[in-house]
Order: sequence, then C-alpha cells, then structure tokens
Amino acid sequence: MPEPEVTPPQLVCLGLNYRTTPVEVREKVAFPEAKVADAVQQVRALPGFEESVVLSTCNRVEIYAAHKLDDGRAAHAALIDYLTRHFDLAPAQAEALVTYKLVTIETARHLFRVVSGLDSMVLGETEIFGQVKAAYKVALDTGATGRTLNKLFQQAFTVGKKVRNDTTIQRGSTSVGSVAVDLAEKVHDLRECRVMLVGAGEMSRTCAQSLLSRGAKSIIVSNRNYDRAVELATEMKGTALKFDEWEHALHEVEVIISSTSAPHFVIKPELIEQAMRKRRWDPLLIIDIAVPRDVDPAVNNIEGVYLYDIDNLQAIADEGRKERERQLALCEQIIEEQLERFGFGSSGPRLATA
Amino acid sequence: MDLDRILLVLSTLVFIGGVAPAVAALRSGHWRKRSWQWLAMLIGFSLQTASIYLRGNEVGQCPMKSLSDVLVFIAWSIVLLYFLVGPSFHVSLLGIFTAPLVVALHIIAFALPGAFPAYPPRIVDPWVELHIAISLIAYAAFALACITGIMYLLQERLLKRHQIGGLFYQLPPIQGLARVIQRLVWLGLLLLSVGVGVSLKLNIPVSNPKLIFAWMVWALYLLIGLIMWRQSLSPRQTAWLASVGFVIPFISLWLVTTHA
Repeated sequence: MPEPEVTPPQLVCLGLNYRTTPVEVREKVAFPEAKVADAVQQVRALPGFEESVVLSTCNRVEIYAAHKLDDGRAAHAALIDYLTRHFDLAPAQAEALVTYKLVTIETARHLFRVVSGLDSMVLGETEIFGQVKAAYKVALDTGATGRTLNKLFQQAFTVGKKVRNDTTIQRGSTSVGSVAVDLAEKVHDLRECRVMLVGAGEMSRTCAQSLLSRGAKSIIVSNRNYDRAVELATEMKGTALKFDEWEHALHEVEVIISSTSAPHFVIKPELIEQAMRKRRWDPLLIIDIAVPRDVDPAVNNIEGVYLYDIDNLQAIADEGRKERERQLALCEQIIEEQLERFGFGSSGPRLATA
Repeated sequence: MDLDRILLVLSTLVFIGGVAPAVAALRSGHWRKRSWQWLAMLIGFSLQTASIYLRGNEVGQCPMKSLSDVLVFIAWSIVLLYFLVGPSFHVSLLGIFTAPLVVALHIIAFALPGAFPAYPPRIVDPWVELHIAISLIAYAAFALACITGIMYLLQERLLKRHQIGGLFYQLPPIQGLARVIQRLVWLGLLLLSVGVGVSLKLNIPVSNPKLIFAWMVWALYLLIGLIMWRQSLSPRQTAWLASVGFVIPFISLWLVTTHA
C-alpha cells in the first residue's frame, strides 16, 4: 500500500522593524524577554501552525513560523490576528501596523540577512547574531521548533558566520564612540587603560561609556562644575577631580577625552611634554571632541602622543560606514549562493510590506 | 640537485605561496587571518627541518659552518620562534612579516658563491656545536625583534597620520608590540650570553675574530637591553633600534663565516 503523501510545512515570517514602524508603535508590540517563551508556544498553538520562533529586540519584532495552512496569506492573517489580540490593539492600531510578510525563500533570505547584520540599523553589527541565537534557543528549549525551523536557523547561523568570515562587513567603526574605542585598543590593552574626561559633555560621556563597556580600567572626570564631575563619575563608577587638579594627573592616564567649552586651547604642548617625560613616553591617546578645539594640534608632534579631533573621528566613522556599504554587495552574493546551496531555488521578491 | 636543496627550494615556494595571497589581501585592505596561512608556515618549517637534517647527514655535523648553512639555520630558527612567540604574544600577522625575511634568507643562501660547500672532515666538538646552535637561535630572536620593530613602526605611523584602514585593524596595539620587542631582545640576549659563555669552554684563543664578533654583538644587544630597561628612549626609538640593530649581527655572520 503506498504511503500517504506528506506535505512539508511552509515557512513564513511576519515582522516589523525600525524601517517599517516607528518606535512608538514598535514598543506596543514588543515581547518582553520573560514573555517570549509563552509567545512561541502561543504561536505554535495557532490552528495550522507547527513551529515558531519569536525575535523581539529594540529594533525589530519578528515571528518565524512553519505552518500547514493553505497559503502564506492565511498564515500572515493568523499572525496579525494573534498580535492584535495579544497586545490588545485597537482596530485602528492594528490597521496601522506596517509589517513585512514573507514566505519560504523570502523568509530564509530575510533571516540570513538579519543574522549577518545586513538588516541592522548599524550595518554589519554583530549583536543581532547573539540576539537571534538567544531567540532560537528559547524556542528550542520550549519545544516550539521542529525540523523545519531547526534546519532554517542552523543554516542561518552558518551563513551569518560565513558572511562575517569572508567579508569585512563588521570591520571598522561607524560611530565616534566606537572609533574612540578602536583607537584606544590599538594604543593600549584596554584592560590597562585609565581614561580621563576633561569636561563632562554628552559626547565625552558617550565615548567614555563605550570605552568602559569594552573593558577600560577606570575613569577620572574633571569639570569646571565639580558637582557635574561628581555626578558623572558616580554614574560611571569613576573618580571626580577638581578642575584645577587634572593637569597633575595627566601622566597617570592612557586616554584623555577633552570636551570643555573653553574658547582657547586647554591642553598645550608644554603640558603634555611634561606628562610624557613622567610617563617615560608610554603612548598617550588624546581625543579632542570640543569645538572650538581644546588641544593644540602641535601636541600630535610629541613623541608617543596620538591626537584625534572631532573631524578626524568623524572622517574615520564615515569611512567605516562606506567600507561596510562597499562590502554589502559581496554579502548579498554570499547569501544568494547559500540560499541556492540550501535548496531554496531561484530568488524571488525581496521584501513585501503591507 | 641534492635532496636537501630540493626540500629547501620547496619550503621557499611554500612560504611564498602562503604569504603572497595574504600580502595581496593586506594591500587591498581586506586581509583576514586564515588557518591556511599558519598551515603554510608549518609545511614550510617541516620542509626546512627535513632539509637541515639531510644536510647535517651529508656533512656529518650540524650544518652551520658556511654562510649559506648559517642563513638557512637562522631562517629555520626564526620560524621556530615564530611558532613559539606568535601565539603566546597574540601577535597576529607576524607570519606575514616573518615569511618574507625567511624567503630572503633562503634566496641569499642559494645565491652566495660556492653555496652549501662540502665540509672538511674533522672531529666534532659538541661544545662548539652547542655554542653555534645557541648563538644562531639568539640571532633568530633578534631577527624576530627586528620584524616586530617594523610592525611597531608601521602601526605607530598609521596612528600618527590618522590612516585608519585595513592594516591598522590587523596590527596589534603598539604598547603590546613594544613589550614583545623587549622580550625578544631579552630572550636573544639570554641565549647569546649562554652561547658566548659556552665559548669560554672552547679551546679557542680570545683573539679569534669569531669570538670577538660574538662578544661585539652581545655587547650591542646588552646596550639595547639596558636602554630598554632604563626606558632611556621612547618605544618608537627602541623599535628603530631593534630593527636597525639587526644589521650588525647580520653583517657579523658574514664576517664570521668568511673567517671559517
């Protein structure tokens, strides 16, 4: 007796991200981390659905599912209906939801692009890879995935790694903060880096936070307004220094970030020469993000001193972004090759929004 | 051509084959660390080792008496130290900088007039063999310090001129490179101290030019080591010293072997 023909489940993805939907709407349909496990079970329990993975980050909410409904449209309608009910959206809000509705190859292509960082706000960023892995693990642990999604996600992780290994999509810095970190890393081991903030502006705070998050040893904050220095130092678990004292501590730090509002140069060659002698010419990175500039450009001529002003940092970040964009075509090509390799056939429409 | 020479040619080709695509990738700014680069170094090193072993069998002693043999032995020691030093100091790219020097040493060894001569038969003194082997490994440490110095100077230049691109992201932090230079100089100095110390046990007059050269090189690197220890110069100047300083032991090798 011939075995009955088994139709394999179909892939769908319903999603919204920073491109399609403003944050005010995204936040309404975002799944808190603790609720994702329940959500994948609920989606899986929808009529006709067999597997599900829910990816919910600050930039996107996406539901990946395998179903046995008649077509993708019915699956998308069921997922929209689920979101509306789950988040208790008013009819007008549900109507206003701009989502992308993908099926089979489009779903696979989209997931491959997401794990590779090609769909991220910062092109090529690597955090999303970990976020997708975590989302998949939650679904796997709750038993919400099966053969179809397990295979798809394993393929996606392979593709993500390949894209990062075979291209330079993640290389270079794309923001002033990350440029500061890259520079500091190429001068010193960050774990040994002590950072001094001269002036407590918002930009210097961002740079200092980037350095701390990547392992900088400690932070010293000096500001004309001492209370503000204390406030910032407390926030970053550092120490505050009175503004007339920072010059004496210059030789003790590896990175200086200057952002005072002084109309003249605050850091002059004589001062740095003196500090460098005390440091025995141990390299010193100075980041001047003030406008007008705080640091006399002649400081860059001193042995062992590397001075970068805001224009230098911005130019490096711009070049980093351009370099990533140049790599985009190569990444897309790899993804198409991998889609072919994994049997997804010829390419279809990329992303349909509705 | 003898088998040892064939193996040496093959190892040279492997080093070139391993490093050429990496250098091209570096020039285009898209260099990435690949396992095959390391594998090429390993295959090249294995061929080098086999070649030296066969050459030793042929001349009936450690093949370190002619300049050709000495250059090959130093090249071999450089690759050996690269395997020991590179991973422990997390100095990526060192292979790319090491391989061209190794290839250059091999080519010079082949190009020298009367390369790889037969050795006159004589009784092998193990102390002499030990003295030569340790001293040459010390020279290899100085050669690696030279290469690391070049890496330092490159990275320093990129940082100073704000040229943040492909090579910049691959080179290690300059402070780390400065430390590696210091350690290599100290390692070489320690080995050379043992090497020249062993020479005191030999039945060779102090006025022997080979010993004089060995002591001169030792004194030079002792001076460099002291300068580093006292931090009398900046790390950049020290890197220059380690890079340019290697010219002296290189010349001394030629002088020593022509007095053989």
